[in-house]
Amino acid sequence: MASSAMELSLLNPAAMRHHRGVSAKPSAGLPLARRSVVRFRVSASAATTTAPAKPSGGPKKQGKKEIQETLLTPRFYTTDFDEMERLFNAEINKQLNQAEFDALLQEFKTDYNQTHFVRNPEFKAAADKMEGPLRQIFVEFLERSCTAEFSGFLLYKELGRRLKKTNPVVAEIFSLMSRDEARHAGFLNKGLSDFNLALDLGFLTKARKYTFFKPKFIFYATYLSEKIGYWRYITIFRHLKANPEYQVYPIFKYFENWCQDENRHGDFFSALLKAQPQFLNDWKAKLWSRFFCLSVYVTMYLNDCQRTAFYEGIGLDTKEFDMHVIIETNRTTARIFPAVLDVENPEFKRKLDRMVEINQKIIAIGESDDIPLVKNLKRIPLVAGLVSEIIAAYLMPPIESGSVDFAEFEPQLVY
Amino acid sequence: MVAPATLSLRPCAPPALPRTALARSRAWFAPATRASPTASVPARTFSGLRRAVAVDSDQQGSPEPPEQEKKPKTYYFLVANAKFMLDEEEHFQEQLAEKLRNYAERDKERDFWLVVEPKFLDKFPNITKRLKRPAAALVSTDGHWITFMKLRLDRVLQDHFDAESVEEALASNPVDLNFEKPEKWTAPYPKYEFGWWEPFLPPKSSNGAA
Repeated sequence: MASSAMELSLLNPAAMRHHRGVSAKPSAGLPLARRSVVRFRVSASAATTTAPAKPSGGPKKQGKKEIQETLLTPRFYTTDFDEMERLFNAEINKQLNQAEFDALLQEFKTDYNQTHFVRNPEFKAAADKMEGPLRQIFVEFLERSCTAEFSGFLLYKELGRRLKKTNPVVAEIFSLMSRDEARHAGFLNKGLSDFNLALDLGFLTKARKYTFFKPKFIFYATYLSEKIGYWRYITIFRHLKANPEYQVYPIFKYFENWCQDENRHGDFFSALLKAQPQFLNDWKAKLWSRFFCLSVYVTMYLNDCQRTAFYEGIGLDTKEFDMHVIIETNRTTARIFPAVLDVENPEFKRKLDRMVEINQKIIAIGESDDIPLVKNLKRIPLVAGLVSEIIAAYLMPPIESGSVDFAEFEPQLVY
Repeated sequence: MVAPATLSLRPCAPPALPRTALARSRAWFAPATRASPTASVPARTFSGLRRAVAVDSDQQGSPEPPEQEKKPKTYYFLVANAKFMLDEEEHFQEQLAEKLRNYAERDKERDFWLVVEPKFLDKFPNITKRLKRPAAALVSTDGHWITFMKLRLDRVLQDHFDAESVEEALASNPVDLNFEKPEKWTAPYPKYEFGWWEPFLPPKSSNGAA
């Protein structure tokens, strides 16, 4: 049932830019959510309620001006908390590997980044130097990232609260992950204050619609979005370390430590999935796994290809960057999902590139002066083309995968 | 230390800890106790280690052997072929560096090491028959952490053993490591340098865990 809405948002990324009402149905959301999208309100920094934005951001070049509509709002997520409680009730679910959760809890309690997110004067200076389109694009990057982190914060916080009774260990891990996300969101929001802006997170919390996602889909999607987040951040970090001339804003220097948090969050979802073998061990699980991989990869590719200026601004080739991130994320994901896509097959990239071309045409129609009816008519063949590319990519022969803890052939494995 | 503000004491006792890995584990959730078993062995316990360490084994150092109670400790480990551990899985470097940084910040004694071709493998025929060589192991006295790392690395074998001394536990056979360059390196950044793992090998000198 989730699929129709998911496909919609997947297939119609361009159209999404113009709809701000997100359907109440489950949708491809989370993968998008962490990284992206959809319009939100930005107000002058002093207006922030939850974010610890510096009130100091005096000058108001942009004042209260709302950010233009092309920004896609991030969706916030909610789930079936009763089902979550059943899933993590150790008395009902005998599969819970408590040792793994205890180990994770220790790791999260260690709080490696407790003192990492400390700003310095370089930020403001770098922001002041940025002008024109680059400045705009950085603001967008900060907003999208901040909202994505904040969306994680809200979901994890609530899960931490709701699972306290049934599974205090899992609940505490969720709470500690929400600590990380809050820290990240706050840090990004302070970054916005360098540009004399701030996201009104309190407003977002109340005003945003929450998209419902079944627990199973939360696991797949959040696992992927955490791991892909890690690969994106570390790739940018290592690239900039090797090419410091592109280091235009100091936030990237924080990415190496920062993204270790994302990586750990992904590990936690890996343990959650292992605790629910029914989400990993049958043909349906394989189909869902491939579906989520595809929706996350395609969404990222199409999104990023609309924002090449950002990646080029920091010296990256957008498509190369994305393919690297996709390949690495896929390799990581193959350690837990029962099936993944054959993204290293050159045909996969060719398909993605065709999707980008079609998507650009769809966007161009949206920006044309035609009346809405004509626009829609013109879109039909293109959307059909995009759909068929996506389906073809989905049907490419997959790669069987999974944790060796579950593999039947494990005893024959050579390590 | 652990941020007390963000931690609430757990409302109930931890559920029974399954798995051998936890048999000897300590009360890890209370920071204060963390120091007890591990810290009782001073940091510079590495006399004699230098011969033990593979590859780059001739870094020197002269640890002062602590006159310590010699009660056996449990060492938990993950092992796989060195190519996987040190070459393909290079991102693992970030995690080890993070942990080392964390220990330095909190003045915590080091309790984890990478060991290339560890001698203790001889005790595990069931593992060695499934292992490509040379092998590399991640060893720690912290069973929880090893469980966590197994979750992360997945493609590794896990077990544990008791040893009288840390030198004994971490002894290794010398071996030359040689990784071929990947045929295609598509990442927009250079690979970590060969030898990135050296800081994580057992220290051969007293600067070990200082």
